Amino acid sequence: MMRMGIRTLKSAALALAVAFAAPQAMAQEVIGVTDDEILIGALGVLTGPLFRNGKTIYDGVETVYNEVNAAGGIHGRKLRYVREDDVCKPDQAVPAVKKLIYDHKVFLIHGGGCSNASLAAKPEIEKAGVPWVITASTAPQLTDPVNPMIFTTMLAGWMETAGQLQRVIDLGAKKIAIVAQHDAWGESRYTPLLDAFKAKGMEPVADEELSPEATDATPVALQLQAAGADAIITVLFPKAAAALLRDMYKIGYKPIVVGGSAIGDIKGLNDAIGIDGALAKFQSLFPTKSPLDPSEDVQKWKAAVAKYYPDDEFMVWHMFGIASGQFMVKALEDAGRDLTREKIAKVLATTSVPDPDTYAGPIACTPEDHQCYKSMAWFALKDGEQVQVGETHLSQ
Amino acid sequence: MAVGLVFLATLPFHANPYLLFVGNLAMLYIVLTVGLNLLIGYTGMLAFQNAALFGVGAYGCAVLRVTLGLPYWLSLPAGGLIAMIVGVLVALPALRLTGLYLALATVAFAQFTLWVFLHWYSVTGGPAGIQMHPVDFGVLASTAEYGLYYLTMAIMLAVVALTWNLVRSRIGRAFVAIRESEVAAEALAIDLTRYKTIAYAISALYAGVAGGLFAAMLGIVVPESYDLFQVIAQFAMVVVGGIGSVWGAVIGAVGLIWVQEALRAFKEFQEIAFGGMILLTVLFLRGGAMSLIKRHIKGWDEPLRRIPRKR
Repeated sequence: MMRMGIRTLKSAALALAVAFAAPQAMAQEVIGVTDDEILIGALGVLTGPLFRNGKTIYDGVETVYNEVNAAGGIHGRKLRYVREDDVCKPDQAVPAVKKLIYDHKVFLIHGGGCSNASLAAKPEIEKAGVPWVITASTAPQLTDPVNPMIFTTMLAGWMETAGQLQRVIDLGAKKIAIVAQHDAWGESRYTPLLDAFKAKGMEPVADEELSPEATDATPVALQLQAAGADAIITVLFPKAAAALLRDMYKIGYKPIVVGGSAIGDIKGLNDAIGIDGALAKFQSLFPTKSPLDPSEDVQKWKAAVAKYYPDDEFMVWHMFGIASGQFMVKALEDAGRDLTREKIAKVLATTSVPDPDTYAGPIACTPEDHQCYKSMAWFALKDGEQVQVGETHLSQ
Repeated sequence: MAVGLVFLATLPFHANPYLLFVGNLAMLYIVLTVGLNLLIGYTGMLAFQNAALFGVGAYGCAVLRVTLGLPYWLSLPAGGLIAMIVGVLVALPALRLTGLYLALATVAFAQFTLWVFLHWYSVTGGPAGIQMHPVDFGVLASTAEYGLYYLTMAIMLAVVALTWNLVRSRIGRAFVAIRESEVAAEALAIDLTRYKTIAYAISALYAGVAGGLFAAMLGIVVPESYDLFQVIAQFAMVVVGGIGSVWGAVIGAVGLIWVQEALRAFKEFQEIAFGGMILLTVLFLRGGAMSLIKRHIKGWDEPLRRIPRKR
């Protein structure tokens, strides 16, 4: 009887121990989170012709994570960043995101650069209930309507073209023309640009097309001149833009020209044109500050990128990643040590970074609006240097 | 083979969703490459329109399902039929061409199709494409992924069996006769127009059905999925597996999908390794993986006639 009693007591003690340990064990079973590490997945283009656009963004994110880790991590945990390649294609994005979620078992996803690839990945991310902070994809339907787990720190595609139109109007233009390349990238901006014209009750005085590989744009330049356009909005890659600007200059036609984010390197564009003065009335927008910005905010990150990725040349793509990385770190700090996917999503929905080091404006999410970034900076070439000449902050 | 079939049939029970997707993708590419091999390998036509017809099938299925509201059970075969009709229409002018001229004409068709996908906004949705909600398999499968996996498996097995029998029939022998010499084939009273059109039609039907499956797998149909890389990928699968062999197409599709996924870990070296493998095959293994199998497995053969059973 006595022996039975001791055995029963032992069993009860064991049961109690298990009962008390169970919540602890459950708490430790958050996918992608251990006592000393948070595993974060990156989905983006790492190979193919666009690899630099992806790799450098994730180098920027990881630079922020590396600096945080060097300072002791977040609430005692280090951040580990694992990257999967979506090749900028939907058919590669789906296996890549499944690998991140089910093979690597990441806590959350921080990445996404190509809109269609991200759109293809979205259903799987939604189904798995994984929080996702998008770094560079611009499709508005990624965050509209609002999904409680999905956020973006990049401008939506329509914002860029709406910003371009607003800029030429602010610069005093009355007769505005469009020159666009009609591939997938160009079409995704061209249609919202026409919508922006309609919304303002305006019509372009000319609407011309150039191939992304165009080397001669003389006929287009002559058409624009004949239409009497005093400002031109380009939806072009740098090569075609260089041809257009060079050929307009050659025929003595010098309107205001406003480019998009594809032309982040105006000095490089000037080199490609090879004629001094061809960019005198050219401006282009970007969501970031200039990589050449002498301020401490930018220069410290330039040095950090050089430390971790000595082969990288510091560019605007890094700056996307750095600003987005700062946003993520802020959210993880605010969420505290007891992490769950639902909790971090709730925190992300109210996270605000008023002055990210590398962005032109604040990143701020609200529960009703997960399009968390809406600012852009304008750049021009002055005395041979790319300098910021203005900012636009969209309210919706 | 039985072991392989059991493995395929039980994969959903022991694989995570990522591996299940890769398995599904490999089976889908088997359907595509078996059809392409019929055209390139058996009939000897250097035609590059398969990726475009893959896209036509995907868009056809998506438009019928999303825009017109047809159920997947109807939109999938209808997408395949649309691709087949387009394939036959392409065949009509292409029948007069051979070699490099045929290659150029079909590449031009592929580029034209891509342009249509991109610019025909009212039907294709332009660069943003068409988004499809998951297919509901009702009581047949607990999830869309499982349902789609078994559907793809059933179609893949049917396509392989059908093609295996086709190439050993009178039609298959006519294909091979055309490949070896069109003049000699005509001398044997083989109707070139008829048999070439049959090859184009079957290949296009396979590509179209694979397109409908692909659309459901991804949940989105966009132009960049059917670009030049898709042309090269399918062509590489046929070459690496073995031109003019049904099993070669199977091995090529499974092998290249497996290598592509296995190389994910190597990131930037993925492209070099992938390209290197194709280069090595072309340089040192002209007959593809099938030439190795034929060399090392005694008695392996893919006869063009049915061998009577020994009594």
